[in-house]
Order: sequence, then C-alpha cells, then structure tokens
Amino acid sequence: MRFNPNINAAVISDIQQSEQNVQTAFQQVSTGLRVNSASDDPAASAALIQVQAQAANVDQYSTNAESVLSQAQTADGTLTSVVQLLNQAITTGTEGANGTSSASDRVSLAADVQGILSSVVGLANTSFQGASLFSGTANGQAAFVADSTSPTGYTYTGNSGVNQVGVGESLTVQANIPGSTLFTNPNASVLGALSGLVTALKTGTSTDIGTATTAVTTALNYVSQQHTIYGNTINQLNAQETYLSQETVTLTTRESSLVGIDSATAAENLSQAETANSSVLAAAAKVIQNSLLNYLK
Amino acid sequence: MSSLSSSLAIASQALQAQELEIQVTNNNIANVNTAGYTRETVNLSEADPTQQGSASIGNGVYIQGVQSVRDDLLTLRIQQQTSQQSSANAQVNALTQIESLFPTTGTSLSSTLSTFFSNLSALSANPTNTADRQTAIQGAQAVVQQFNSISSGLTGPSSALDTTVTTDVAQINQLSTQAASLNLELVQQKAAGQDTGTIGDQLSEVESQLAGLTNISVTHTDQGDSIVTGSGTPLVLGNQSYALQTQTGADGHQHVIDSTGADITSSISGGDLGGTLQVRDTQIPAVLNSLDTLANQFATAFNAAQQQGYNQNGTAGTALFTVPATVAGSAAAISLATTDPTAIAASSDGTSGSNGNVANLTAVQNAALSSGSVTSQSANLVYQVGNLTANANAQYTAIGQSLTALTNQQGSISGVSIDQESANLIQFQQAYAAAAKVISTIQTLFETTINMIPNS
Repeated sequence: MRFNPNINAAVISDIQQSEQNVQTAFQQVSTGLRVNSASDDPAASAALIQVQAQAANVDQYSTNAESVLSQAQTADGTLTSVVQLLNQAITTGTEGANGTSSASDRVSLAADVQGILSSVVGLANTSFQGASLFSGTANGQAAFVADSTSPTGYTYTGNSGVNQVGVGESLTVQANIPGSTLFTNPNASVLGALSGLVTALKTGTSTDIGTATTAVTTALNYVSQQHTIYGNTINQLNAQETYLSQETVTLTTRESSLVGIDSATAAENLSQAETANSSVLAAAAKVIQNSLLNYLK
Repeated sequence: MSSLSSSLAIASQALQAQELEIQVTNNNIANVNTAGYTRETVNLSEADPTQQGSASIGNGVYIQGVQSVRDDLLTLRIQQQTSQQSSANAQVNALTQIESLFPTTGTSLSSTLSTFFSNLSALSANPTNTADRQTAIQGAQAVVQQFNSISSGLTGPSSALDTTVTTDVAQINQLSTQAASLNLELVQQKAAGQDTGTIGDQLSEVESQLAGLTNISVTHTDQGDSIVTGSGTPLVLGNQSYALQTQTGADGHQHVIDSTGADITSSISGGDLGGTLQVRDTQIPAVLNSLDTLANQFATAFNAAQQQGYNQNGTAGTALFTVPATVAGSAAAISLATTDPTAIAASSDGTSGSNGNVANLTAVQNAALSSGSVTSQSANLVYQVGNLTANANAQYTAIGQSLTALTNQQGSISGVSIDQESANLIQFQQAYAAAAKVISTIQTLFETTINMIPNS
C-alpha cells in the first residue's frame, strides 16, 4: 500500500481543526457559556428563551409587588390614623353623653368632632404617587369633596372600582379599597357616624349622643375590619416577594444549567485544547521537514 | 545472429529508456505542487527476443508509453463529495449571517417581546402613570422595530444570494466551455496516438471545479467526458457545451434556465449553486414564514385584547398595531397604529384608574394562539434557525472528513512523492551510467576488432 506523500493538506486541516477547538474553548472560558449562538445547541437555546421570558415576568411581578406593597403600606398607615381619630371621637362622644356636661361644653365637643371629621376626610383624600388612594378607579381627583347638600357635608366623587394587580403567574392581589366602601358604607358609614355625632352634640339629648357614639363605635369596628384586609395584603405581598426572589434564583440556575459551562471544566477544556494544538504544531513541523533529500549527499 | 551492433542498439535503447524515465521523474517533481496533477510512470517492457535455435536472446527494453496513475472511480466519488461539501459550505455561510439575527443573549425579538409585556404588567400597579404608559408604547415600538429589522435582515441576504446564483451560473458556463474544448483536444490526441494524461488531468480538474458549483455526473465516452447536472440537464456533450442562463423570475429572484429555455431552478442540487438556492428558496422562506406568523398572530391577538378594554380617555380600546390581513409580509409591514400613550386600553370599565384590562393584554404573551404562544413561537424561531445552522455545520464537518479521507486515498494513488522520485532518480542515474558503460565497452571491443586488422 502506497501512502499519500502529500500530507500537507491533511496536516493543515488538522491544524485548523485544532485551532478551532482552542478558539471554542477560549470563547467558553471568556463568556462562561457553553452555548454562544443558537446553533451551538438549538434545543437549549429555545428553552433558554422560555426561561428568559419567565425570568422577565418574575422580575416584573416583583416590581409590581413592591409597588402595590408601598401603596398598601400607605393605605394601612392612613387607616391606623383613622382608627385613632375614631377612638378620639368615641371618647369625645362618651364625654358629651355624660349628663354632667353643659350645653356649651357639648358645643365645643361638637367642634372637636367636626375637626375629627375633616381630619378623617383629609386622610380619605390621601394620594399615592399622584393617584387618590381611596377613590376607587376614578383617577386624578380627591375622593371626597365638600358638599353642603350632603347630610355629612361631603360627597364621594370616586367610584366603587377595585384593581387587582398580578404579582405571580396565577396570583393577583387587591390593590385598593374604594372610599365608598371604607368611609360611606351604608351600614357603617364613618363620615355619617361622625356627622351624626356632631349633630347630636349640637342639638340632641344625652341619649341621642349615646346612640350617635355607638354608631361611631360600629363604624370603628368596620374600619378595623377593613384595616386587616390591608394587613393581609401586606403579609401576602411580603411572602410573595420572598417566593419571587427564590424563583429568580431557580430560573438563573436553570439558565446557567442550560447554556452555561462550569468554569473548572471550561478551563480544563482550554488547557487540553492548547496542549493538543501545540502537539499538532510540533508534529507538523517534524513531519513536513522530513525528506529523503535531507539524507542524500 | 547476435552481434556487437545489435548490442549497441540495445544499449542506446536502454539509454533512451532511462532518459525518458528521468524526464518523467523530472516532470513529476516539477508538478509536485500542481493542483489536479496525476503522477506519471513510464511503461517499459522487454523487447521481443530473437530466437536462435533453442536459445532466446533478449533484445533489450521497449518503451510502451507514459501513463498517468489515477483511479477514475475515486475521482467520481470525490466530485460528488465536493458537490455536497460546497453546498454545505454555502449554507453555513448564509445561515451564520441569519443566525446573528436571533441572538440568545442581549436584545432580541424574544427579549423585546417580554420587555413589552413587562411594561404592560407595570401598568397594572399604576394604570394612570404617564411615564409607565410611555414606556409601554416604547416597548411596542421596539417590538415593531425588531419584527421589521429581522424581516429585512432575512430578505437582505436573499438578494445577495441572487448575485451568487448569477456568478455561479457564469462560472459553470465558462467551465463547460473549457471542458468541451478539452474534449476536442483529447479526441484529437487519441486519434494521433499521443499520451492523453495531461489533458485528462486538466479535464478532471475542470470537472472538480464544476462539481464544487453544482452536482454533476460525468461519463467517459469516445468523444471525451459527457457532463450532465444531477437532474440530467446536459452541460457538455463531446466538444459541444450547453450554456445555462439566469433570468429574474416572478418572485423577483434569479432563476436558472437551461439551453432549451426550461426553468431548472428547483431541480438543481449540490454545489455552491445548489446550497445557495436551498438557503434562498427553502430555508429563508421557512424562517420568514415563522416570523410573519408570529407577527401576525401576536398583533391580531393584542389588538383583540385592546378592543376588550377602554383607553385612558374612557373610550373603547382600538388596535395598537397595524398588520396586514394575510400572514405573508406581516413582519415587514407591522407598524404602530398610534404612539399616543393614552391609547393603551388598560381600563376594563372606562374609568381612567382601572387596570382591569391589563390582565387581558398581558395574557396575550402566554395565550395559546393558533401556532403556539408568543413566547413559544419566538423560542421556536430560535430553535429553527439554530437547528438549520447546526445541521449545515454538522454536514460540512462530516463531508469534510470523508472528503479528506478520499483525497488522501487519491493522493496515495496519484500524488507525487518527492522521496520516491528522488530514489527513482538515483536508480535511473545508475541504469543510465550502466548503459553508457556498455556503449563504451562496445566501443573498446570495436577498436580491438579494428586493431586486429593488420596495417598494410
């Protein structure tokens, strides 16, 4: 059997192959990725696209959760103040219902309660990032405006809309409670009870004042109940944020297992490829030089 | 009757034979780096002996001729593999460009799509925030730009490939003409009884270049080599070549027309031309179709979701994207119907602060559209392009290996070995010296014989 005397072509193709290997190994080391373009592993690349989309969504859910959380915390703080004010009103009402208080005492107590009422309305008009917290989904306006025709002196200008915000693949949380539910609920109206107390203090008997104070207590209980809804939302959001940050870690791990390469492996591949490359070059240099002519003198 | 003169004749014949050997060796060495050169050997045989009674006396060496050492079957296989190799190479080159349109990291179609849906999701927390709405519109704009630029990125190479088709066809024609004139020369040399090794080398070199351009099949005939394309269109028959033509077809691309005027574009396979046509007419249109489908279904579904809600001004939502009714050309034509941030229909009841429809808008991302969800369609696109490129690469590597093996085998048969030629040279030199020695010996003998005649 005769051997191919012109090994140059084969040697050059071997050198090229070996240099290609070095280049691939080097790219893997420098990028930390096994898959640097879709053709390196089409299936892993497609899976990566899905994971990336999922990760982007998780990031957004997390941003949404933070945004809703600060909104809920503001609302929660506001309701805490409302509860304090209502407690004050009850104390004032109880004082007024006492038979020993004089008419002039009651008038000044009525003024106190009126002050509480406007403070509550002020709190009900709290806005968050430019949007009214308690006007439902009607935007850009105060939830309650002064209205002399209304028995309470204020009219609700919002609506009963409720927004649900997605904070997970299948989890939404309620972002707001409309002012009509919180402050002018027909069964336990905060504003109604407070203005009733004002009227009773101004014109009513001790019994009337007592009844009006009870109404404020009912309203207080109702608001406290609603208050816990925000508390629950906050707890839920905190839990969800923890879950989402874990999810991000999981997804990052999946990404790197799909397309990443262990740096030790990559380094080993590179040094192997380099060794192979120098061997090929050394062998080529030897083989190409060899010729009978070197020995014919 | 043996005599000194016949010995002299044998010796001079031997000198000629060694001279020829040396000349052929010289020629082999001279062509050691010539592409397509096949090493030559001298065919020597014993001259017919002279019968003298029962003794048979040799009459020296007889020069039969010079022969090229080649294996035709191997040459044909190499031509076939060369065709496939060039085809895979053309595909790898074109597809690598296309692959860069679908990166797996950084800004890509899929990343802009998911950013857009994230922007929309952000609206749910704050539907009236102008900055958030503006971001969402910008996200939509980025999606449109991705569709537009990938679409033009796919059609761009496709017109560059048209140029390749034209130049390939021109090269095929030139090589066909060359082959036809070599055929003529071959027949003439054969008729004159000359050695056809050199012409054969040139012909097979031309054929191997042709094979690199398209799949050909070669038949050796009395009239030289007949060359037809893989699908049977004649290129060279005897000393006649048949030129192909290119012509702009109804689809705006260059089509290949044979000498009878028939369109043979779809039947061409192999070689640079075949690979180029494969990418231009099959692979790019398939990817473009997937892209168009995604653009069309995404825009249609999103517009439908828009119409379920109300924009920030409280009026019913309208289409955000303008997209053609037909799938074809959707990615190139998709545009934003409006750049007004209030146009995003986040509200479900007409109040500006409602976010009720955001869920419907974001649901488009993972909703099952008729060709799969937006995310899975964009993932499939990456898979499709990656797979095409990976297959072309794998094919190129695999054929490259078998081609190397075949070329190696051919080299082992036909390649010039400097070592071998050097060794031969020494052998021929010695044979020549020996023959020369015979002549000088005979000369001495003649002198001796002449000296035997007494001087008168």
